Amino acid sequence: MEKMKKLSKTKSISYAKWGYIFIIPFFVVYLIFTLYPQLLTIYNSFFEYYRDGLNVIGPNFVGLRNYKELFTINNAGYVPIVKYSLNTLILWIIGAVPQFLIAMLLALFFTSTRLNIKGQQFFKTVIYMPNLIMASAFSMLFFALFSQVGPINQLLQSWGAVNEPINFLGMTISVRGLIGLMNFLMWFGNTTILLMAGIQGIDESMFESARLDGSNSTQVFFNITMPLLMPIFIYVFITSMIGGIQMFDVPQVLTNGKGTPNLTSTTLIMYLNNFLGVSKNFGMAGAVSVLLFIITAVLSAFVFKTITRK
Amino acid sequence: MKKLLSILLAILMVFTLAACGNGGNGGEEPAEEGKVLNLWTWNDEFWGFLCDYYADEVIDEFTATKGDVTIKRTTYISDNMAYQDALDAALLAQADAPADEKVDMFLAEADYIIKYTNSDATMDVTSIGVTDFSNTYKYTVEAASDANGVVKGVSFQCCPSALIYRRSIAKEVLGTDDPAEVQAALDSWEKFDEVAAIAKEKGYYMVPTPLETYRTFSNNTTSGWVVDGKLNIDPAIQNWMDQAEKYMAEGYAPFAAGIWDAEKNDQMFADGKTMCFFGPAWYFNFCMGNAQDPERGCYGDWAICQGPQAHFWGGTWMLAATGTDNPTMVADIMNTFINDEEVCSKLVSEKAQFSNNQAVNNKFAADESYGNDFLGGQNDTAVFAELAKYIKFQNVTPYDQGCNEGIQNAYREFLNGTVTKEEALANFKDSIKTTYPGITVE
Repeated sequence: MEKMKKLSKTKSISYAKWGYIFIIPFFVVYLIFTLYPQLLTIYNSFFEYYRDGLNVIGPNFVGLRNYKELFTINNAGYVPIVKYSLNTLILWIIGAVPQFLIAMLLALFFTSTRLNIKGQQFFKTVIYMPNLIMASAFSMLFFALFSQVGPINQLLQSWGAVNEPINFLGMTISVRGLIGLMNFLMWFGNTTILLMAGIQGIDESMFESARLDGSNSTQVFFNITMPLLMPIFIYVFITSMIGGIQMFDVPQVLTNGKGTPNLTSTTLIMYLNNFLGVSKNFGMAGAVSVLLFIITAVLSAFVFKTITRK
Repeated sequence: MKKLLSILLAILMVFTLAACGNGGNGGEEPAEEGKVLNLWTWNDEFWGFLCDYYADEVIDEFTATKGDVTIKRTTYISDNMAYQDALDAALLAQADAPADEKVDMFLAEADYIIKYTNSDATMDVTSIGVTDFSNTYKYTVEAASDANGVVKGVSFQCCPSALIYRRSIAKEVLGTDDPAEVQAALDSWEKFDEVAAIAKEKGYYMVPTPLETYRTFSNNTTSGWVVDGKLNIDPAIQNWMDQAEKYMAEGYAPFAAGIWDAEKNDQMFADGKTMCFFGPAWYFNFCMGNAQDPERGCYGDWAICQGPQAHFWGGTWMLAATGTDNPTMVADIMNTFINDEEVCSKLVSEKAQFSNNQAVNNKFAADESYGNDFLGGQNDTAVFAELAKYIKFQNVTPYDQGCNEGIQNAYREFLNGTVTKEEALANFKDSIKTTYPGITVE
């Protein structure tokens, strides 16, 4: 009996316990470095807490005053944070649309057994290359290239294409275009490789049987590739969107932190960063962060729901 | 995996730092004063002088020694207030920092010196042995004093700002490059405008950017940027805005570039088309590198005169940080750069500085044989000695850097035609609201 009991105890050993133990380190790190700061940010957003010179003002509880201030109409007749949100959205779309189109096309080319492109490794390396450059260095390079006395203007002038140097960094369309272009260049390689991995994960026999049944490439793409690629596509799309919402380094460096012209390239994170200058305004910065958190959560949920809907 | 790796790295870094901390303290005998003097700066101008005239040995760009003390430089750029940001953090942590990591001396500029002099982060320098201000310019002492008149630091330079012009262009536009005659032709803003029109006819620009004259106006205001806690735009700033608008519309300036931008600095090359720049001694010997470029520059093709309106620009003050463990050396450096006649003379003759020692400056001003080769042999010290008499340190607030940079950045956009004047002002006010939450903006 005694023996039996022992045996049954050994038999019912719970391996799940080890699972929990193994994930403890992650949760400890998550609690300390992610959850705690997040809660602290939310807490700070209800306080007046900044520096005036070397004097710390606060923290004084002010309720929702910081949020109210965020949504106050300014002298030019608009709400700054709404403008910056739209900027962020536009900047992301300019970069993301070509990024997804080109990446999808390249992924299809590279995985196509009919095309069977030679030197794939080389191309994959090359298109991934821009991602290895630091965003700020990349941005600095474009800043120098497109300045009024920079090489692009010199080239255009020596070809006689323009008489006066073009102020690329002074016009909304070109600044936004350049930011989009940089983000596109930096990320399309990464997206291509992720999508390729997704396509390669699809059972080859699916394509073969479709082709045997006489379907053309378009039909294969929309009826086989796309539906089966969906989980990976959603992942790539949401990561790109969150990256877009957090866009900072490229526009910050390209416009020297000013978000020019007329603040049309000021993103939400740049706005947040402005509060954390000499004044270390944790109250307002906290409020912006909380708003960002809500926007990200809502958008992600929305995208997930729409794309996965049957 | 990535997370794990980063934790590991972080732990490693902490250990490395701790190891460094222990190593640093391993001195032989407990000395009375610290063995490391930490100097905070936003560029390497003063560092150069310190290496040449004070230090015994220069180890590298950021380290030098004097006796058995190591002088360490910590530098952050001034742009977007990065320097103030980093310095504030260091000063607020000063009390808890180990002795060798405490800030001992830091540099501050006219735009924000008051923020530090009026705080407990700086200390009375008369208490550590800097007492003789008889030869310094009065405004440099006033600027470094707190509201109660306690002196917290000294400046190694005096910064009257002059009109710096290209001799060759002046000859074509005015028919002369003689400083006295050029001055006579440009001694008021009305005359300046007239000459600007002539320059344009002859294919030249009067200024490299409309922002070039900003300091001339902002330094002659009748009220500060902040009055009773509210943002205030002085009529002088308004006058500058009107002038800038006119100069851009009339084509008296090629671009509405920022004062530190490559577009503007390009105008200093020999093939530049701009006649007038504005700035103190530090400007032409520290910031006009393009003009001194051996191939593309125009060394010697320059001269200075008083210009339409007397003003000063910038200037670097050395402030003693509260809690320093090297008070004797801090005082010694300060005394060296204001009272050591030999060092002050070298600042003038070797570095083309306008020193903060009136006796030395006057000696050079009176010396007929003394001249600055960059300025075609002109005696710049004589011009500055005269200009120094008009310097007024007034209407300053701790928020001046943000306001001065903010208005120039915002208004530039109007000058470039991207926004209306109303939008530019609204953008400026928004930026102040974000930068300085303590200021009421209407």
